Amino acid sequence: MRSRLTLTLAGLATLILLVGVSLRATAQDKDTLIIALDTLGAQVMDPIADTRAPHAHYHAPLWDSLVGFDLEKGGIGPGVAERWERAADGRSWTFYLRKGQRFHNGDPVTAQDVKFSLERTMSPESIASGAAALRRAIDRIEVVDDHTVRVYTKGVIPHFAASLSRAVFMEGTVMPKKYFEKVGEKGFREKPIGSGPWKFVRNVPGDRIEYEAIDYPHWRGMPQFKRLTLLLVPEQSTRLAMVRTGEASIASIGPEAIKEARAGGMRIVTVPGTMQAVYQFWGLYKPEAKGSPLTDIRVREALSLAIDRQQIIDHVMAKHAQWPMPFATFRYSIDMDSARWDDWAKTALRYDPARAKQLLAEAGHAGGFRLTFFNTALPGTPFMIQIGEAVAGFWEKIGIKVDMKTTEWGAFDPMTRGEQKGLAGTASMYRTAGRPEPAPRYITTFTSKGTQHLFGDPQDCPALCQEGDKAYEAVVGERDDAKRTAATNRMIDQVAKSWVAVPIIEGMGIWAVNPKRVGQFKPIPGRHEFGDVAERMPRPEQRPWP
Amino acid sequence: MLLLVILALIVFALARVTGNPADLLLREDATQEDRAHLLKALGLDRPTHEQLLVFLGGALRGDLGQSIRYRKPAVEVFFERLPNTLTLVPLALFGAVVMAIPLGMSAAVYRGTLLDRAANAVAVLGIATPSFWLGIVLIYVFSITLGWLPSARMGSPAHYVLPAITLGAFLVAGMTRLVRSSVLEVLDSEFVKLARLKGVSEVTVLWKHCLRNAMIPVVTLFGVFFALLVTGAIVTETVFAWPGVGRLTYEAVIFRDYPLLQAIILLKAVIVLGVNLAVDILYAYLDPRVRYA
Repeated sequence: MRSRLTLTLAGLATLILLVGVSLRATAQDKDTLIIALDTLGAQVMDPIADTRAPHAHYHAPLWDSLVGFDLEKGGIGPGVAERWERAADGRSWTFYLRKGQRFHNGDPVTAQDVKFSLERTMSPESIASGAAALRRAIDRIEVVDDHTVRVYTKGVIPHFAASLSRAVFMEGTVMPKKYFEKVGEKGFREKPIGSGPWKFVRNVPGDRIEYEAIDYPHWRGMPQFKRLTLLLVPEQSTRLAMVRTGEASIASIGPEAIKEARAGGMRIVTVPGTMQAVYQFWGLYKPEAKGSPLTDIRVREALSLAIDRQQIIDHVMAKHAQWPMPFATFRYSIDMDSARWDDWAKTALRYDPARAKQLLAEAGHAGGFRLTFFNTALPGTPFMIQIGEAVAGFWEKIGIKVDMKTTEWGAFDPMTRGEQKGLAGTASMYRTAGRPEPAPRYITTFTSKGTQHLFGDPQDCPALCQEGDKAYEAVVGERDDAKRTAATNRMIDQVAKSWVAVPIIEGMGIWAVNPKRVGQFKPIPGRHEFGDVAERMPRPEQRPWP
Repeated sequence: MLLLVILALIVFALARVTGNPADLLLREDATQEDRAHLLKALGLDRPTHEQLLVFLGGALRGDLGQSIRYRKPAVEVFFERLPNTLTLVPLALFGAVVMAIPLGMSAAVYRGTLLDRAANAVAVLGIATPSFWLGIVLIYVFSITLGWLPSARMGSPAHYVLPAITLGAFLVAGMTRLVRSSVLEVLDSEFVKLARLKGVSEVTVLWKHCLRNAMIPVVTLFGVFFALLVTGAIVTETVFAWPGVGRLTYEAVIFRDYPLLQAIILLKAVIVLGVNLAVDILYAYLDPRVRYA
């Protein structure tokens, strides 16, 4: 009896082992580029039905944008429109489309498609994140001829063209008018076509989206792989494992996974200038904050000087971050003197705890004070929590008693809207996204009508707030490029020297790459997502990694 | 039915306590106007009591609303993913049963020996080991180090092995203990003693007479576990990128997709009730003493 049972157990174990060994992983497909992502957003194949950055992963391969990228420096460049002009009065823009572009069904890309696409993106049904901004901006759209379209704006908008680039947001996606009218919205979402370098094959909800490469030249680049698959793999360690085993070619990772990725033989690709981690003070103009130490500019400057940014770059971000520029500005930003602000940042954002303590003493707070600090992380950048913890630690070292409240983003964001109850006199972590123009971010944060209105609101707009409003108006109303650059510099100067919203580090997008599955490639500066890069990724034998 | 209504009310209220999905969908520099437009497009601009009435009215017609994120009926999204979970759960259960029954039987028969203590250790480890950790360790050993099995996702039969083991591991622990207890209880029965006196072989005594009687509490647990696996394989499905209803639940919570979350919980409740009913009916076959009016 005993020996029979033992034999049965042993046989079972052997069977399991043999079955396991025989079920080897399937052979890797060298013609398919596989990118493992932590999110595919709504995974809806319709540009007007998703709101956030995931569209730049999975819409971008299929659809082109009216305005494209500057592939070398970051920022905007030619797209479906090879060039554009602003009218002398600044109230209209003429876009000249490339000739010879076609959709995947062979239909030519024309100005009628551009008009249709913009109108659809602005429609009430659209939940595209910039839909409301487009409705505010556009007065009417005119088709001049098959390859020329003119957009009339409500007022002068100096960088209207930039808003139609994926370097900024998604509103410039060009959709096929004839095809859409033929198949309807449902048909379009089930079998979408675009003019991009990849054709849609299949969308498996919650799992993957498959594309196949076009077989004719494309201005974005000719894909070197026959197929592209975007996989949804929420767990980072699983994504890393898949790249390591070759089940995926590329995976998005955070800074904490870099060491493990390198140890596993993967290459790391970083995309500079994708975001800034910042901290900011809320409602300092409100009566509730009267008497708060934060209302003294010396205290605010002291809190910045107390932070050792290089330590955060080295140890929290594993050296994959950069010294920041002023709030919402990057080395590829336009309308500003980048060299000047780069120099300013090196000095003004230095680590100087002795000076910080001196400033606190001068302000009458040598013994420190209590500060409520909301530590939060926006979607896609979970490492902001670790940065916030480091910042709190540095503040504690100069005598600030930090009452840190780690708050999930979904719970914190509503607090920042409307009357911002409970936020006056507090600090929080925040983020700016990598965009070529600073001005749009400044309206949100510093003007009295902006959502965050850190300087003041329409009912209570003290001197700093009024200066902020004037500085912003001077930028957006200026048609002359040189004068607008000067106005932007003044706007940046005003905000930087207020110490109300202060950058901590400039973050990067980080990707782990299997060098046997894909060759060396260059990302687009400021663009974390690879939806506009996949067509230029070489095969490993075409451009091996060093 | 009353249970489902109460559950619907609880889920409706709790989902809204956590925040508004519009705040997660908007970009950080969105204006109040952008927010208002999005709320209107998603139907979230209506007062809460109106949203509740719309939800309850729709639920009575089988319409549990439209997923905010996927922009299609929540019921459709749920049933798209359910088959993926249903292909995994039976494997996990089968593996657990295949391991637990012989282990539990051996522990009972060889009570007090090293085998009994080993089975106990397996049970404790199985309950104590977090499935998240187990899944990652299995990936590291069998995918990365040995290269025997794929690390994640659905696909060939090989793709099912590691998730099934991870999902079934804690079941082995619980079932082993239960089988052991049940068999020990039955081993002292009069009919077992009689069978031995009549000269019936020990194998037949154990596997035919004892096991069948010891299985009744196990079947109870079996049904509960099946429902639990279907409704709650969140961690395993997330680690292995398995596109099932467990991961769908997690995503609905993270993105505050109210209609989808409400639909998932209500439909899962229906599944649990259905499975429990099936288990109750199965009793009658296993235990002739149980008869329903």
